[in-house]
Amino acid sequence: MFRLTLEKTLNHLINTNNIDTEGLNNKIIGLSVDEFNLRLLFMFANSRVFVMRMHDQGNFDVDIKLNKTAFLYLFKGASFEELIESDEIDINGSVKTAQQLADLIALASIDVEELVSHYTGDIIAHQLGKSVKLVKGKANKDKVNIVEALKNDLTTLLVAPSRSRFFNNNTH
Amino acid sequence: MGKTTHFGYQQVDVDKKQGLVKGVFDSVADNYDLMNDVMSLGTHRLWKNYTIASSNVAEGDKVLDIAGGTGDLAIKYREKVGPSGQVILSDINGSMLEEGRKNLLDHGIIDVEFVQANAESLPFEDNTFDCVSIAFGLRNLTHKNIALEQMHRILKKGGCLMVLEFSKVENEMLEKLYDLYSFNLIPKLGGLFADDEQSYQYLAESIRKHPDQETLKTMVLDAGFGLCEYHNLSAGIVAVHKAIKT
Repeated sequence: MFRLTLEKTLNHLINTNNIDTEGLNNKIIGLSVDEFNLRLLFMFANSRVFVMRMHDQGNFDVDIKLNKTAFLYLFKGASFEELIESDEIDINGSVKTAQQLADLIALASIDVEELVSHYTGDIIAHQLGKSVKLVKGKANKDKVNIVEALKNDLTTLLVAPSRSRFFNNNTH
Repeated sequence: MGKTTHFGYQQVDVDKKQGLVKGVFDSVADNYDLMNDVMSLGTHRLWKNYTIASSNVAEGDKVLDIAGGTGDLAIKYREKVGPSGQVILSDINGSMLEEGRKNLLDHGIIDVEFVQANAESLPFEDNTFDCVSIAFGLRNLTHKNIALEQMHRILKKGGCLMVLEFSKVENEMLEKLYDLYSFNLIPKLGGLFADDEQSYQYLAESIRKHPDQETLKTMVLDAGFGLCEYHNLSAGIVAVHKAIKT
């Protein structure tokens, strides 16, 4: 479910903020954090992004390998060039493309604690999440919108449609 | 008998399968939605909701719902694409399309197009759709590989294929219970609610003959899709394969 959440968050962000993803169109970007056994694949097409499990076959336009510290910095909106200089990251492919993806992820205000808990267990995730929250006080307005949009989508997904319609009709 | 294929657990002539499947769906069309609710205890609605939620369909998109039958997915896709988008419901079976047409009219929907078509020779131009979806239809096709190639052909670059289908249960214990349920209860429920035990026996058998998750993923990639992954629902009773034309 978390990849679906990440995909929906990023697409909501792209749509509502009219983010130009033209430069990323038809690009496939792999992102992996070995310490968390996290392997994601981002495919941009038709003004949207697909977030999938990284597969073995096929070539990526950009392959990003991070350690957990760099992963944390990614959510802080760090520059890839700085991370490369400090040997925190390994990129095969265009650094510019990788940076565009990183900028989008940083904008999304994703709950990194929730994301990482699937891979690390709750305690490490909580510590990571706390660190990120300390530096992430921006974009509160957007965050509320994203949370609301996700809440609506997940409600529709998990509640029988007739009940969902009833609920919506009685709350708006 | 020439080249054969499976029809449930029977081996039949390749040329005859389509007609036999047609017979099954002609017979079950009237009670299709009711039987889906009875057999899955309503869970099929959650499976379909998950499929639509993960399709990444957006406003203005063009969506083809293959083997769309009674139209329950088409209704939801239409909500997603909005007035600027387009949803086409296709099915090879006229009786199922008729049920779909009635169902959509009951929902006040008049702008979904209906096309009676064989999924193995889809009457659409190359690179037409943003999303092609097939729910509980692929296992009934005679040449699944050809149908997957057709779906790939009509999708735009970056378009998404969603396949919701019964699959291989992950847990051995659950699999035994599921077998017991499928082969003993489902045909009886078919007899009780739809007065048709035989068609529901076929449905249970056809599920077991359908490729498992990994095999279907390989078939999808072989059809030309650049990316494919699957997500098991209800412990693998069904799986959603999502593929992108790269």
